[in-house]
Amino acid sequence: MDAIKSFINIFADPRLFFLLSVVALALIVWKREIFARNAVGYGLMAVLAVFFAFGLFDENFVLIIAKPDNVPIVALIFLVIFFTWYSMREAVRNDERMAAGDDVIEKQESDRVWVWPDLVYTELISLILCTAILVVWSIGLEAPIEQPANPAATPNPSKAPWYFLGLQEMLVYFDPWLAGVVLPSLIIVGLMAIPYIDTNPKGNGYYTFNERKAEIVIFLFGFVVLWSSLIVLGTFLRGPNWNFFGPFEYWDVHKLEALTNVQLSDYVWVRGLGQSLPDNILLRESVGILLTLGYVFALPVILARTVFRNYYEKLGATRFYVTVVLFLMMLSLPVKMLTRWVFNLKYVVSIPEYFFNI
Amino acid sequence: MADKKSVGHAYNVDFLNVVFAASCLFLFLTSIWMIWDDYDREWKGYQRQFVLLESEVTRLNLDAAQEAVDEGRLEELRAQRAEAEQTLLLNRQRVDELQSQLEDVEAELYLANQNFNFQKADYDVERYAFEEVQAEHPEEAEGLRPEIDAMYERWVELGLEVERLTADRDGLREQIREFTGGVSDADAEIREITAETTRLEALLVDLEVDFVNDYLLNAPLLDFMAPTLTVQQTITPNVVDDVNFTRVPKMDRCQTCHLAIDREGFEDYPQPFRTHSNLETYVGSASPHPIGSTGCSVCHDGMAQSVGFVHSSHTPTGDEQTHRWEEEYDWAVPHLWDYPMLPTEMTEASCARCHKDTVYVPEAANLNVAYGLYERAGCYACHRTRGFDGLRKPGPSLTRIGAKLTPEWVADWIRDPRAVKPSTWMPRVWYNSNTDSPEDARRSEVEIDSVVAYLFANSEDHEFAVRRPPRGDPARGEEIVASVGCLACHIVGDESRLEAGPRRTFGQPLQSIGDKVSYEWLFDWVRDPRHFSSETFMPDLRLTDREVADVAAYLEGLTGSAGRPAEATYEDGEVGDVLLDYVRSVLPTAEAEELVAGMSVEERQLDLGRRVIGRYGCYGCHDIAGFEETQPIGIELSEQGSKLLALLDFAFVHDIPHTKIEWFKQKMRDPRAFDRSRVLQPLEKLRMPDFGMSEEEVTLFATAIMSFQTDVQPLAAQVPRSARHDALREGRNLVRRRNCVGCHEIEADGGDYVDLLDDPSLAPPMLTPEGAKVRPEWLYAFFREPITIRPWLDVRMPSFGLEDQHWNVALDYFAAISDVVGPFRTHDPVTLAQVPPEGRELFDLLRCQQCHVLDTIPADQPTDNLAPDLRMASERLQPDWILDWLREPLAIQPGTRMPMLWTELPGSFYPQFGQDGERQMEAIRDYLLTFRGGPSPLRAGN
Repeated sequence: MDAIKSFINIFADPRLFFLLSVVALALIVWKREIFARNAVGYGLMAVLAVFFAFGLFDENFVLIIAKPDNVPIVALIFLVIFFTWYSMREAVRNDERMAAGDDVIEKQESDRVWVWPDLVYTELISLILCTAILVVWSIGLEAPIEQPANPAATPNPSKAPWYFLGLQEMLVYFDPWLAGVVLPSLIIVGLMAIPYIDTNPKGNGYYTFNERKAEIVIFLFGFVVLWSSLIVLGTFLRGPNWNFFGPFEYWDVHKLEALTNVQLSDYVWVRGLGQSLPDNILLRESVGILLTLGYVFALPVILARTVFRNYYEKLGATRFYVTVVLFLMMLSLPVKMLTRWVFNLKYVVSIPEYFFNI
Repeated sequence: MADKKSVGHAYNVDFLNVVFAASCLFLFLTSIWMIWDDYDREWKGYQRQFVLLESEVTRLNLDAAQEAVDEGRLEELRAQRAEAEQTLLLNRQRVDELQSQLEDVEAELYLANQNFNFQKADYDVERYAFEEVQAEHPEEAEGLRPEIDAMYERWVELGLEVERLTADRDGLREQIREFTGGVSDADAEIREITAETTRLEALLVDLEVDFVNDYLLNAPLLDFMAPTLTVQQTITPNVVDDVNFTRVPKMDRCQTCHLAIDREGFEDYPQPFRTHSNLETYVGSASPHPIGSTGCSVCHDGMAQSVGFVHSSHTPTGDEQTHRWEEEYDWAVPHLWDYPMLPTEMTEASCARCHKDTVYVPEAANLNVAYGLYERAGCYACHRTRGFDGLRKPGPSLTRIGAKLTPEWVADWIRDPRAVKPSTWMPRVWYNSNTDSPEDARRSEVEIDSVVAYLFANSEDHEFAVRRPPRGDPARGEEIVASVGCLACHIVGDESRLEAGPRRTFGQPLQSIGDKVSYEWLFDWVRDPRHFSSETFMPDLRLTDREVADVAAYLEGLTGSAGRPAEATYEDGEVGDVLLDYVRSVLPTAEAEELVAGMSVEERQLDLGRRVIGRYGCYGCHDIAGFEETQPIGIELSEQGSKLLALLDFAFVHDIPHTKIEWFKQKMRDPRAFDRSRVLQPLEKLRMPDFGMSEEEVTLFATAIMSFQTDVQPLAAQVPRSARHDALREGRNLVRRRNCVGCHEIEADGGDYVDLLDDPSLAPPMLTPEGAKVRPEWLYAFFREPITIRPWLDVRMPSFGLEDQHWNVALDYFAAISDVVGPFRTHDPVTLAQVPPEGRELFDLLRCQQCHVLDTIPADQPTDNLAPDLRMASERLQPDWILDWLREPLAIQPGTRMPMLWTELPGSFYPQFGQDGERQMEAIRDYLLTFRGGPSPLRAGN
């Protein structure tokens, strides 16, 4: 039993956790026919249920899972996985039909919407059920009164509301001005821009994967891997001092993590060239600045001329550049994660003199 | 699937109906659950249960009240009433006639009153209008005046009418009363006699179950209107909660369940219904801490706004209660509230929130002992603590250690002090739970030897006052030690620290002292302690050299365990290794190595000794040469009780509950416990020494620490400041810090020495009434040069050699206890010629000399009857106090043998002054005050 627990604890390491999420996404996309099977979908839910049932016998696991704040996140795990699987199943079915020359399932349904009694009735039922569930929820999961807020004693770990835990996770890799201001703004701007940059009329009103491969993969990566799974990770696996703890581990405040990350400028000057850091800030950070500028300004142009040429032609210059910049911004998080894990890289550009770090 | 054109359904409506019905039912059930959940509170159950208990208690009270009713008188009154009623019946017709007239007049009066009031209202309106016109347009005012005057006239007339009718009514009532007076008088007296039983009967009726009050008003959904089961709360404007950003009045809801906390009669009921255990001091409306202004949580802590057992964070005492609560209430260690309730045995810690800077709080026995122990153990010497600033170092001075001790003894002593003297407060620095391995033993021995070497190398010379002291008789010495009062401060036998208490461990225990010091040193010390150590608190007992020799001979014979032997030996080279370790923590390794290499073995040992003393902070408790200015090593504890749990490091200690109090307790049980399982270099280890505390001591120290809190309560909540309050506070501290209370009982505390005596009459006197009793100038002189007041006592007042500031604190303190007007009081001196002869007569008649000394000690009297020399009275006693003393000696000094001679005051048994007791007492007092020539401290040149 303990062996199983420590085995599972190993996967709570953020590196493995993230890597596995990406691998899982790739598998889902690549082997989607298998993934779309009912047996796989229901089997996944069953495995999850067994996992949580198994965990309920563990003291530390229960402490985290059964905390009233966290219970909805357990539901979130089931719901996100279920709906990912469900939409993929529908998409695969439609793709198969289209490959066979049939109409998609949705095509066969009538355009007509039965308002009375069907729509109104189902809405009413939903309303009643939601009310009842909220009542049960609020009785069952009590919100306790805690001590008065004390500015001198913040809770450890201090956690953002669950829906911001993805953002809080970004703070580990980026400075607050990026993780808290620039990137969230770009997320909102990007979401608003989607209708203008995604002009692919296919997949409108029906499930499909083959007709919208890139869009769906980007969405799944951005939403499921970078957003939802980081919420789960932030809720269940981040403990005191924002350290990582496996689901069966005791949240000991004394657990330590070695902070041995170094700046890119250290790599270049101290480790690479074997000399001390230049006094001139711009010279010191020149490599990082060039890399960053290249990532934001040169890489889109290079992509337009090389691998994404088709897209460039299809979308036109404006749309393409907006899309690619947004895409690169989204990728900056996994890129930064990877460099941190692989190279212990702290910041690409580090100018603490002006509180400016990238 | 329906055809586009036809009207169809996306869903099976019959099925939807079923789903709809099911979800409605679900919502209905959850709604009921919601209402029930809101309605079903544990405190309501307690309040229902309490109604039953209250009926039970009321019934008992009613029985008692009925017993107390004078049945005979009641019967008599009933008979009287019946008789009066007969008379009334005979005059029925006349009474009825008057009654009907009275009713008519009352009706008229009612109307007249109404007219009068209405006229007044109308007049006031018009008058205001007129006044306004007069102010703004004076020219128009005159025309309106007649109207106003007329209204006033009318109002006066109506007033006259009211007065006439009132007089008529009163006349009629008087006439009726002539007939009914007998009945109503009897009724009034009956009501008076049965007032209590009537009240209790009414209460019982109220308490009976009744549909409207008990069911309807408290029914779910209806209980928002006027429920009889309600949350009971006390809001205390002067006692506040600190909510970090501001302070708000406390809102204590404890009484919601603890319903009888401030009511007598529920002492034997189980919690939460029990009466407070000390209603006279707390909670009671006549106590100094009434619940309405003090509340509950300022003493008990906890989340007082909560009305749930677990949420309000009750704290159990002992394992048994913990287990029971876990089972009954699903109790768990509270972690959502920073300040859970204090366990009951530690509640006194909260006294210090308002009773500040004092080591004695009346009635707080545990806290007072805790503070006493805190000083005895010398906690404040390493840990700065507010209220314990500027105290002397608790351990003896080591600056002359060479003249007193041998290095071998000191090494054995510091290795494990309790192995030598089981009752000592000297803690064990080495061989503790984080230094108990064989490698640690070698290092410990190196450190111990180096400390000893440093101490002896830095010792000053000391010249004994008597070079070759005479040998004494140990048997006589034992008698002297047992009788002059040494045992008020020192333990001799195998008594434990806790049994002896903080007062009798004021001085070092004398266990094994013969192994420790030489006869010469003992003689020198007992003869004049300040000769060896000018700062010592040990007083001079004014023994003769002969007696000193006897005492020294006895003490020399007190031998015992040699202590714990060294558990390892080491090579000389290891001294250098350990020293290098120390030096490397302050210098770069190369420099450290160079420094150590340049030293001889002896130099290394001395340098290491200095560093070891610095690391363990020995100089906190002892004067050690070279450490005069060094700051103590412990963290400040002034606000330790308010420290947040998150700031306490439990490390890998998981076998105790993670609460603040348990952390403190664990720290005291084993100060090094939090090093358990940790990998640490020797200099990283915890270094608080082990005091070997018993579980009771641990609890007491935890109480003291929990009493050190951040100031939260406003001045209005604290004891009002006044000169008397300050004098009390400083005096209470002084008599404890000089251990006056070891011998004397003061304010119902202390006087431990009495318990050591077979005959309590041989004990030092109780000093509570001292301020009212003796003249301050006499007392001051006595403090400085004590004289023998009761020659039949062996125990004696030592010479303390205190400075004037301390003596004045003591004088002010005694004055403050008795609340006397001040040092100066008028009493015209009387000469023998002025004293009426009755004074002398009474003095002889009452045979005062039978017990009181008058130059000679009365013969044939047991010692417990003897009383001080009356020739001292004129210098010593306050004349007013003598009268108080004669009037009621037992009220001043419980247990005194002085008889109460005037039991018939203001009269008297004795014939003088026409049996006027007061004048008799004055005469005898005045006669006493003419005596001269008794022993006096004043004449000794003071």
